[in-house]
Amino acid sequence: MQYTLLITGSPYQSKACHTALRFIRACIEKHPNAIKGVFFYGDAVLVGSQIPQPPRDEINLLQAWQDIAQEHNIPLYLCIAAAVRRGIISEEESRRYELKQHSLAENFQLEGLGTLVELIHTTQKVIQFR
Amino acid sequence: MKHTLIHLNSSPYANLSCKEGLDLALVLATFEQPVDLCLSGSALALLNNNQLPTAEHGKNLHKLLDGLEFYDIENIYIKSPSSVGESQHWQGTKPLNEAEWHALFSQYQQVFRF
Repeated sequence: MQYTLLITGSPYQSKACHTALRFIRACIEKHPNAIKGVFFYGDAVLVGSQIPQPPRDEINLLQAWQDIAQEHNIPLYLCIAAAVRRGIISEEESRRYELKQHSLAENFQLEGLGTLVELIHTTQKVIQFR
Repeated sequence: MKHTLIHLNSSPYANLSCKEGLDLALVLATFEQPVDLCLSGSALALLNNNQLPTAEHGKNLHKLLDGLEFYDIENIYIKSPSSVGESQHWQGTKPLNEAEWHALFSQYQQVFRF
């Protein structure tokens, strides 16, 4: 079975992003290809910013997501509308809005909600973390 | 084709959850995916007529309700009796009794909460 994860909880106000990571680790231990993709929506998109610097004695959530994405080839999508309004800007969007900087972290990509619909359509189960 | 229920439970003016839940419903419907809505808790405030939110409050999401039928979103459920006064709220909802409300959530392939 392949899963799509929909994460909507803020990385700062909830444990949604943390719990989803643990779910993925448990899942791929038994079924390495079980995760089709992860779609971050709402405040969860904040996890894809390259700017925050967590205290050294706490989990670096961004790094944890980047590691798991690279290691297991899991695509990480941020809803473009939710991300841009929260200041998570890719190089391309930065040019479009004529900004001097961009903030999207590596291994994350901005996509529309249509990508989530496609994921819903092509996986057996979608699990929301909020 | 998966049938989706979007459960709105957040105040339309407290944060963006309610708006982003509605946005997802509209996109699913645009892609011709069957989607129903149900409202409970603070999200019931969305149904109140005569809302005049300022820019600081956020967008007037109540105005979206009349357009839902054009996206073929025709089932908007609330639990009856609701805390919203019948005469002052949007008339397009389908009230469900306690048992129907609880049965609702197992009728869908997926339920997303906002």
